[in-house]
Amino acid sequence: MTRRSFVLPVAVLLLVAACATQPKPPPPASHDIIVLLPDDQGKTGAIVVSSAGVERRLDRPGETVTVESGSPPGLPTVIPGQEVRAIAGPALAALPKPPARFILYFKHDSVDLTPESRAILQNVLVTIRDRAPVDVSVVGHTDTVGKKEYNYALSLKRAKTVASILLGKGTDPSVLDITSHGKDNPLVPTGDQVPEPRNRRVEITVR
Amino acid sequence: MMRNTVTAAVLLGALCLLAVAGTAAAEETIGVVRTTSGDATVTRGKKTLPAAPGMKILVGDTLGTGADGSLGVILRDDSSLSIGPGSRLVLRSFQFSPSEEKFDLVARITRGTMAYLSGMIGKLAPEKARFETPTATIGIRGTRFAVKVGEPSSR
Repeated sequence: MTRRSFVLPVAVLLLVAACATQPKPPPPASHDIIVLLPDDQGKTGAIVVSSAGVERRLDRPGETVTVESGSPPGLPTVIPGQEVRAIAGPALAALPKPPARFILYFKHDSVDLTPESRAILQNVLVTIRDRAPVDVSVVGHTDTVGKKEYNYALSLKRAKTVASILLGKGTDPSVLDITSHGKDNPLVPTGDQVPEPRNRRVEITVR
Repeated sequence: MMRNTVTAAVLLGALCLLAVAGTAAAEETIGVVRTTSGDATVTRGKKTLPAAPGMKILVGDTLGTGADGSLGVILRDDSSLSIGPGSRLVLRSFQFSPSEEKFDLVARITRGTMAYLSGMIGKLAPEKARFETPTATIGIRGTRFAVKVGEPSSR
């Protein structure tokens, strides 16, 4: 029998305010405030705050603990958004957005995009413009039908096709990083020589 | 003479900066600055440089801000980290190599405020991420569950 332990993937958004008060002598008894927030998708992960040998788990949106120097973490409470902003508004505002990912699909053995994917390209261009300055990676892939070398070349052509459309619409060439993975990195795992439209793709990441 | 000493010191300073930049290119980048506002700096060894979008971040770098500053970086595992005004944070360690199963992230904030949005390390190896404050240590936990896979004959 095999036991496998999984960790459900979940993002964590946390805020810390260190040395919150006490400007002058005597030596400030510092206290820190730690806040757990949901990510952009509204998912809240979990964190554990440890001090003085005690662990306190936070897993609800807005859950907050205060830790006094040398003491265990206080009891968690949920605080409203306004208070969150008062605690760490500027840090939150300065937090870069996670990279935006797009997948574009191609017709079999071709560098032609599917009609739906042509539409997605418009979103890519808007994202590049909205987030400038950016780095954009364009990675070409194929399914497992055909030889390794052929598919490496095809996936590179796919990546270059997408890149040239982006360039044609005014994207700065220096922000594009174009690579190909051939058939080595299928999105949907299949055996060799298995046609799979979901693997015939270009993945674009905008950072 | 005084003037020559000052000129010599400035030249030496410039050379040191060049040397640091050269070393930086050879070491592995762990992230890049994405947002800056007001007084924001990156300190590497003895050198403090103004932070600018696009600037590469290395292990050991200290991110700092003045009373009006803020600074945001994206790390190689696609997590993001930022500091508000009057802050100081050191990136003590960082490793992200899924093919070698190497994951590590330790950041220490000594003053001010920070925000962190986890990425691939938070998904693949959350127990390898740690944040240290003057009073506490913070770890990330996913939601764990176990699966028991029986042998075919037991069905």
